[in-house]
Amino acid sequence: MAKEGSGSILQFAPFQSSVDEGFWHRLSSLKLNKFGIDDSPIPISGFFAPCSHPQVSNYLTLLAESLPSDSNEESSIPAFNRGNRNRCSVPGILYNTNTMESFHGLDKQGLLKAEAKKIWEDIHSGKVLEDSAVLSRFLLISFADLKKWSFHYWFAFPALILDPPATLVDLRPASQWFTLEEAESVSTACNEWRNSSVTADVPFILVSVGSDSRAAVRHLKDWETCQDDGQKLLFAFYDPCHLPNNPGWALRNFLAFICARWNLKTVHFLCYRENRGFADLSLSLVGEALITISQGWREHQCVPNAVGWELNKGRKVPRCINLAKSMDPTRLAISAADLNLKLMRWRALPSLNLDILFSIKCLLLGAGTLGCQVARMLMAWGVRKITLVDNGRVAMSNPLRQSLYTLDDCLSGGDFKATAAVRSLQRIFPAVVAEGVVMAIPMPGHPVSSQEENSVLEDCRRLNDLIGSHDVIFLLTDTRESRWLPTLLCANTNKITITAALGFDSFLVMRHGPGPFNSTPDLKVEMPNSLSAVMDNLALTNTDGKQRLGCYFCNDVVAPTDSTSNRTLDQQCTVTRPGLAPIASALAVELLVGILHHPYGIFAEAEIANSNNGGSSELPLGILPHQIRGSLPHFQQMTLVGHSSNSCTACCCTVVSEYRKRGMQFILQAINHPTFLEDLTGLTELMRSANTFQLDWDDEIEDADDECIEL
Amino acid sequence: MMDVFNWDGTVSAKDFRIGALSFAQKWESLNSAFPPWSWVPCPKHPWLASPELFQEEGYLSLENICISRPYEVDIDQNSQTDPGEEETSCSEKEDDIDDATLVQSNHHELHYCDFHIVYSYTFRVPVLYLRAYCSDGRPLLLDEIEKELPACSSKESPETKWAFITQEEHPYLKRPWYKLHPCGTSEFMKLLFLGGDTGQPKLEVVLELYLLSWFSAVGQVVGLRIPCKMLNDRR
Repeated sequence: MAKEGSGSILQFAPFQSSVDEGFWHRLSSLKLNKFGIDDSPIPISGFFAPCSHPQVSNYLTLLAESLPSDSNEESSIPAFNRGNRNRCSVPGILYNTNTMESFHGLDKQGLLKAEAKKIWEDIHSGKVLEDSAVLSRFLLISFADLKKWSFHYWFAFPALILDPPATLVDLRPASQWFTLEEAESVSTACNEWRNSSVTADVPFILVSVGSDSRAAVRHLKDWETCQDDGQKLLFAFYDPCHLPNNPGWALRNFLAFICARWNLKTVHFLCYRENRGFADLSLSLVGEALITISQGWREHQCVPNAVGWELNKGRKVPRCINLAKSMDPTRLAISAADLNLKLMRWRALPSLNLDILFSIKCLLLGAGTLGCQVARMLMAWGVRKITLVDNGRVAMSNPLRQSLYTLDDCLSGGDFKATAAVRSLQRIFPAVVAEGVVMAIPMPGHPVSSQEENSVLEDCRRLNDLIGSHDVIFLLTDTRESRWLPTLLCANTNKITITAALGFDSFLVMRHGPGPFNSTPDLKVEMPNSLSAVMDNLALTNTDGKQRLGCYFCNDVVAPTDSTSNRTLDQQCTVTRPGLAPIASALAVELLVGILHHPYGIFAEAEIANSNNGGSSELPLGILPHQIRGSLPHFQQMTLVGHSSNSCTACCCTVVSEYRKRGMQFILQAINHPTFLEDLTGLTELMRSANTFQLDWDDEIEDADDECIEL
Repeated sequence: MMDVFNWDGTVSAKDFRIGALSFAQKWESLNSAFPPWSWVPCPKHPWLASPELFQEEGYLSLENICISRPYEVDIDQNSQTDPGEEETSCSEKEDDIDDATLVQSNHHELHYCDFHIVYSYTFRVPVLYLRAYCSDGRPLLLDEIEKELPACSSKESPETKWAFITQEEHPYLKRPWYKLHPCGTSEFMKLLFLGGDTGQPKLEVVLELYLLSWFSAVGQVVGLRIPCKMLNDRR
C-alpha cells in the first residue's frame, strides 16, 4: 500500500463469485430448448447479502433463478428480480458463447468498458437514486460445453477507477466510532430497515445520527433532506466482506457515484455487516476517505476506466466446473446401476465382489434366444464387457423370443444379429463395452471344400484369439457340434466355460471342469518328440487329487456330427417352449456368479442340492453345482455331477495334446472326418465292445436319468 | 388407533407434515447453534381452484450449513490448472488489478451443505437428502463429503449401520442429490420405540416424536446433533 498524503490508498476486497449448480442446469436447458445457437447477451440477476460471519465473506451468488425461466409458457422474467433480506438482487449480463474459441476470443476489455459505461450512465441519469443496486452491475462470460458437461466462466465486477485513487484517512469498527447510545440506535434502525420487506434488499443507504443520538436509515434519494448540521451522515452499503481492514468492492462505485453526483471530497462510509441476522457494529466498519476528482468526472461523456475481472486463485484465468457426474445421463445411468448392486451388497450380500463383475470379459457364442437373455442378465449383474458371436441375421420371428431385437432389426433382410445385439445393449446401458463378431463357428461333421479351407482356418484362429482374450465363455449355440471347437479351445486354456442347451421342454446348464493341463504351455512351440514330456504334465485330476469335472461332451459316446441335415423340416428348427430360454439363461449367469465367488473358481468341486450339504452353506451365494437339468413338464430341476471322461472327444488329454501338437491341421481333420475323433479317443473301440448291448442314443440331449459311462 | 406393537415403523404423509412442522418449531426454539429449518411447500396441483382439494406436500429445508473447518489454501503453491482450461492471452495494456484492489494471499476454501427432509411415498418414512458444495458453488462428490462427515462412511456404530448414501434424483428439484437410503428406516424406528422405554407412549405422542427420534439417529451420520434438551422436551 503506497502512502500518499495523509493516508494510504484505500484498497477494496473484490467480490467473490459463487455459482450454484442449478444455474448451469438451467443454462443448459435454455441453450438446448430455447436459445439454440443464438448467442446474444442474456440479462441475469446476481444475489448477495451483507456479511453474516466474522471469519467468512459472503459471495455474489448465481442461482437457477438468476436466469430467465426455461419453460415456454412463461415470458422471460426481467433480469431484475425482487429479492429479500438474504438475496439482494443485482443486475448482470451473460455472454455465453457457442465455442471455446469464441469464448477466448471475446473482447474482454470492450465488454468491461460497456458495462462500466452503463454504470456511468446510471450515475448521471439518476437511476442510481431510484435503484441503487445498479451500482454493482456485473458481467459474466461463459462457454457451456454440453457434450462434456463442463462450463468455463469468468466474472467481472466493473469498478470505475478513481484517478488518483481514494485515500483512507481512518478505518475502524463501527462500535468504536459511535458512542454507545448512537451504536444502539444505529443497530435498531438498521435491523428495522433489514426486517422490512420493502427495504430489506436496498444495498446502498444513508445512515444519519442526530445530535440526540437518534439514528435513521434513509434512501439515497433523500440525501438533500439530510443536510442538517450537527448530524453525522454516513454513506452505508451492505458489505459482504468480513475483513477488518478493508471495505468490500461495492464501495468503489459508491464513492464514484457520491463524488460525481454530489461533488464531495470527504466521504464517511459505513460497511454494514451482520452476525446471525442482526446488525453487528463491531464487525461493521466506519471509515473516512478522501477523493480527488479529476477533470474528466465532470464530463458525462468521458467514461472512466474500469477494472474488475475476477482472479482465479490469484491468476488471470477463467474458471471451469465439470458437472458430468450430475448431468450426463450416461454417468447417471452408471451410478444408478452401481447403486443397485451396492445396495444388494449392503443389505444382503456383504461378500459380493463387484470389482470382479465389473472387470471380467464375457464371450457369448450365439446371439439367439439364449445369447440375448444371457447378455441382459450379465448386465444386470454389473458385467460391462460383453462380446457376442453370431453369423446369422435377425429374422422376423426372432424378436418375440430373442429379447434384444425389435422389428426394426428385421427389416431389409435383417441386420446381423451380432451387431443388432450390441446396439441394443448400448441402448439399454450406454456404458456397456459390447462388441459384435459376425462369424460362423467351424463344426465337425460339416466338411469344407479346399477353397473354403483357408477361411475356415482363419475362423478357427479368430475363435481361438477371442477365447484367449476373454475370461468367461458361454456356449449358447443351437447345435451340439458347434460347441465342440470352443469346448476344446477352452479346455486347452482353462477358461471358465458355461454351456446352456435346450430341448423342447427341458434344459441343461452346466459349467465345464478345468482342462486336462493345469498350466498353459506355449502353444506355438512345436515339439513333435516331446509327447512324453507333455504326457508328464497331464492331469486327469485337479491339483488336489480329485477327478476333474466333465465338459458338455464328456458324457457322449458319439462324436459330434452333423445333426441338422437328414432331418425333417420341423426337426431342423429348434423348437422349444418359450419359458425355457429365460430360465436356462438366468441359471447360466447365476452359475457364473457362483464360480466367480468361489475360492477355487474353475477348480471348484461340484455340489448337489440336498439336505446334507457339508461346507456348502458357508458360501453366501449357496451351492455351486456342476450341472443343472430342468424339466418344464414337471416344473422340476436337478443338480448333477459328471466327471471328465478319458475318451471325451473335446476335453480329454489325448485330444487336447493332439491339438497342442498339430494345431489347426488337427482341427481341420476333425471337421472333415468326424469319425477321426472317435478313433483318436478310442470311442470306436468302445462302441464295438458295446455292440452286444441294446442302447438308445439320443443325440440331442441326454436323458436326465443317464449316468456317467464307466470306463 | 394402532398400538406400538403392531406398528410397522412407518408414518402417513399427513402425519409426516404434522411431525415436520413440530420438529422445526422445537428446533428453532431449542437449537440455537443452527439456523432454523423452513418448510418448503410443493403444491401438487397448483392450477386447481380450491386449495382444499390438494394435500400440501413439501419438505423441510436447512441450507448453507458450513461443514468444514476453515483451512487456508496458499495461492502461490497452486500450480495445477483445471483440465481443459487455457491461459487466456492477456494483453499487457489490460489492467485487471489496480492499486486500489486488495490482492489476498490466501483463500479460505469452505464446504457447505444443504439438507432436506423429504417424505418417501414408497417407504412411508422421512428421508434425509443432502448436497454439498464449495464456496464458489462447485458441487462436492461423495468421497469429498465423506471426508468432511466421517460418520457417513463408517459402518461401525449402530446409527451408521443404517446409513447408506446413494445418489438419486430429488423428487421435487429434479436434480441429483445424495440421500440416506430409507430401506432400513422403518426397522430402526420400530426398534427405537419398542426398545428401552418401559412406559409405552401412546401412539399420538409417538407421532409427535417420530421425526425427532428419526433425526436423532440419522442426523448423527451427517454431523447434525440434536441437543439433549430437544430430546427431553416433552411439550
